[in-house]
Amino acid sequence: MLKARKLVLAVVATATLVAPFVAQAQGEITLRWRTRPDNQAEIDVYTAASQAIDAEWQEVTLVYEPGGSETAGYQDVLISEIEAGTAPDVFWIPGTDIARFAKAGLILNLAELAAADPDFDVNDFYAGPMEFLTTSIEEGVPALWGLPRDVSAFALYYNAELFEEAGLPLPGGDDWTWDRFFEAVDEIASLSPSTFGFGMNAWWANWGYFVNAAGGSFFNEDLTACGLNTEATVVGLEAARQMFAAGTAVPWGTDAEPLFLAGQVGMFMNGRWATPGAIANANFEWNVAPLPVGPSGKATNWLFWGAYVVNAKTAHPAEAWDLVTRLTSAEIQGQIAALGANIPSRQTQDAIDLFLSSLPGSGVNNQAFIDGTTAEDVRSEAPLFNGNWPAIDAAYGQGVTAVFNGSLSAQEFADTICDAVAAEFDS
Amino acid sequence: MNVSSASPRADLTALPVWLRPVTLAVNAVIALACLAQSRAILALPDFGNLGDPVQAFAAMVVLLPVVAAAYFSAGLLLRRPQSSLLVPSLADTRYGLMFFYFLAAALSFVYVIWRSGAFNGFEFLVTGFMQNAWLALVFMAAYVIFWIGSRADSALVRRTGVIVGLVGIGILLLSANFLQGVVDLLSTYRDPGVLIGTISGVVASFLCYAYLTRGVEFGETPQQRQAWQGWLMLSPNILGFMIFFAGPLLLSLYLSFTDDSVGREPQVIWLQNYAHILSFEFKTQPITEPAQRALSFGFRVLASFDVGETRLVWGARDPDFWISLRNTIVFCLMLLPLSIVPALLLSIILNTALPGMKVYRAVFFLPSVAAVVGTAIIWRWLYSPNIGYYNYAITSLITWLNTTFGTSINDPQIAWLTDPNVVLISIVLLAAWQIMGNNTVLFLAGLQGIPRELYEAAMIDGANAWRSFWNVTLPLLRPTMFFVVITVMVTGLQVFNEPYALFPSRPIPIQAQTSVFYLYQQGFFRFQFGYASAIAWFLFLFIFTLTFIQFRLQREDR
Repeated sequence: MLKARKLVLAVVATATLVAPFVAQAQGEITLRWRTRPDNQAEIDVYTAASQAIDAEWQEVTLVYEPGGSETAGYQDVLISEIEAGTAPDVFWIPGTDIARFAKAGLILNLAELAAADPDFDVNDFYAGPMEFLTTSIEEGVPALWGLPRDVSAFALYYNAELFEEAGLPLPGGDDWTWDRFFEAVDEIASLSPSTFGFGMNAWWANWGYFVNAAGGSFFNEDLTACGLNTEATVVGLEAARQMFAAGTAVPWGTDAEPLFLAGQVGMFMNGRWATPGAIANANFEWNVAPLPVGPSGKATNWLFWGAYVVNAKTAHPAEAWDLVTRLTSAEIQGQIAALGANIPSRQTQDAIDLFLSSLPGSGVNNQAFIDGTTAEDVRSEAPLFNGNWPAIDAAYGQGVTAVFNGSLSAQEFADTICDAVAAEFDS
Repeated sequence: MNVSSASPRADLTALPVWLRPVTLAVNAVIALACLAQSRAILALPDFGNLGDPVQAFAAMVVLLPVVAAAYFSAGLLLRRPQSSLLVPSLADTRYGLMFFYFLAAALSFVYVIWRSGAFNGFEFLVTGFMQNAWLALVFMAAYVIFWIGSRADSALVRRTGVIVGLVGIGILLLSANFLQGVVDLLSTYRDPGVLIGTISGVVASFLCYAYLTRGVEFGETPQQRQAWQGWLMLSPNILGFMIFFAGPLLLSLYLSFTDDSVGREPQVIWLQNYAHILSFEFKTQPITEPAQRALSFGFRVLASFDVGETRLVWGARDPDFWISLRNTIVFCLMLLPLSIVPALLLSIILNTALPGMKVYRAVFFLPSVAAVVGTAIIWRWLYSPNIGYYNYAITSLITWLNTTFGTSINDPQIAWLTDPNVVLISIVLLAAWQIMGNNTVLFLAGLQGIPRELYEAAMIDGANAWRSFWNVTLPLLRPTMFFVVITVMVTGLQVFNEPYALFPSRPIPIQAQTSVFYLYQQGFFRFQFGYASAIAWFLFLFIFTLTFIQFRLQREDR
């Protein structure tokens, strides 16, 4: 018996020693890449895409790492790994992060590699993100910080049953302006004490829509200073504040999505990424509509985006660039778009058609999102090359929360916010 | 451990003749290798983006084994009975060499594992095993067979169980590319670093063992043997503490004096980070002007007070830090009573001999072992103003009161996670609920240490339950109470998980921002690791001072 135990122990010990080396020996070059999927379905698609690229790419072995979880934030892990020198060769970051990653020297300038690539055409992608991705941080040195993985825009998810109950026409159409929007908010909220006319989540783009639609802007024209010290800011924020003060909107800071899915919200502003969740969980008649036109008189929206970038310390920059182009190919973007969560970042008709045909049978108005990305006044999610965006975002957010909570007037906010954040701009 | 003098019974003639020359030769090799390594570190153009001071410090640390090798070699050569500054005694030489080789072996094997990439391989291993996780059922079957064999006292059945288990291991390993793993393991030895690391580890282990088993020759007493065995048992923890706690702690102290940011070499800026934290400005202005206008560029309003027609404006370069510190202190002040008083009451109830108390003890302790992230997600739903159970309960209670007693109490419909006046309380409730179980167990242990006789004596003296509690239980629980207060306070001042998990959107409401969360934001969102380190050390001094004062008060109280 003792012998048998020793044998077991010996086998286990040997296995423990040897097992970590399992599956290590692979191709000549191994590239690790990472993105932040929202759910298991996306992980599966990215994994399949990685395996497909790997299979046809003889010289390179790809290792896909889905990033982000409840206990390990995508950003936290990435920053730790960059600091430790163990970050993947290629990774995804949100559009607002491009500037600080580039300025900190964490991502590779791909301009030279792109220039030598005959298949690459910058015009294949949406112009907004590409404008920021090609912003130079060194005079006379052309830049390309990455390629956009996908884009998205806001739309209004609406509960058609509540509209019908309130006797209102569904949102949309030529006269879809703030007047009709706020009227609908009031009417739906009056249906019952537990029903809200409108809901949105508490981050910059949501209140930003109201400012932009009123003709305002976060920054000045060349993005070198605060731009919220205008009357348009007051008009936009005041319009939103009144909904919170009247209790017709889901309280600011409360996650409005579960309430919308529970059928308690008439209109819920969110991006395309919320569509699969709505299809899976909303047990009522719903659809999406474009955002209403505000006092600026223009259809306003955000163009959200994130990009695949290359680790500045990668040992294989050429292969990493190759991988970025493969990951943003029409074919791979089509596979991702078919899930319905993202819009391809290529603005070719093929890519748009692919997106429009996604989620067949769901009845979702895909065109509303395309309209959003091509709205008359579409603002691209802007990486701030001349300022500290996280600090500015925090200061803006605190001020806006104070306005929506009633502890600060919109006018006071507009009067003071630019002084408060002035030190956060490089100029 | 008293190892200051050699035992008179030392008999070095019994030592193997090879041990001394081999030790001296190995020490010389280690010293030369460390000298070369130190030089190599200094020659590096970029030391992990940590800067020149850290590079120089690392080069100096690598020289420590050189000093140790020379010191213990001298001890071995000169064989002094007593230790002096330059030469250790023989007994101390043995202990020193044991520790020296133990450390060398441990570091060599860690190096081999790192160099060969085995850490990354663990991920592949888990993936490989998880793809065939069902095979683990074979082990269950093997255990059942073995158990039946033991019950039936049948060696054949037991052996069958062992064989089934072994076959299961074999199948599992093969399914996870075990053979390929063997090949890959061997192939890593093409790297001279792996080979040298392995040889170093084996030689150091062998020498450590050689000295470890020769206590008699060095005149070791049983007490001394017990002492080093104790240290040996503690060594994994001590090594872990030095590498993963003390090391980063020192590094963060250094970084707090730099402008460290992600991806670039930090420059020493001495006390600028601390000055930034402590920069204030006090101004006055007419109340008609916005407070921000009174302050200089770079300052923001921390507080303002209207006195007649004049406004006093208190500005700071980093008002958010002070707001987060205030939040943390308020959090702590609320957490202390909310997690201690109910825990004390609960422990008194659980200390009774009522049936089922053991089950209840486990139940009340459960929140303390549950992961904060998981519980916070549940609490997020409980806190939902519209569909959460807390508001549902409050609404139900108010409705009942209004209908039963004809009152007209308004339903507050508390916005737990968004109302600036409530968000901090929401975090406190979650934290108190989590900590309470642990405090209950501590109080329970304290209560069970109070002699029954004291209660009996109090009862004979005519004390009722309240007097017994006040005059017997509470005074005797004072040491436990002190410990609980200190741990809750320190835990409260370091609170991070609760706001992190309870508020998934970033940035979180300023009223919910605690100091540790704020420093995390500075590091991971604003890339200001130098400034974040300064905040961490500022907080450390703050917590240390508070704890020190409490210890002094406790001592004076005694």
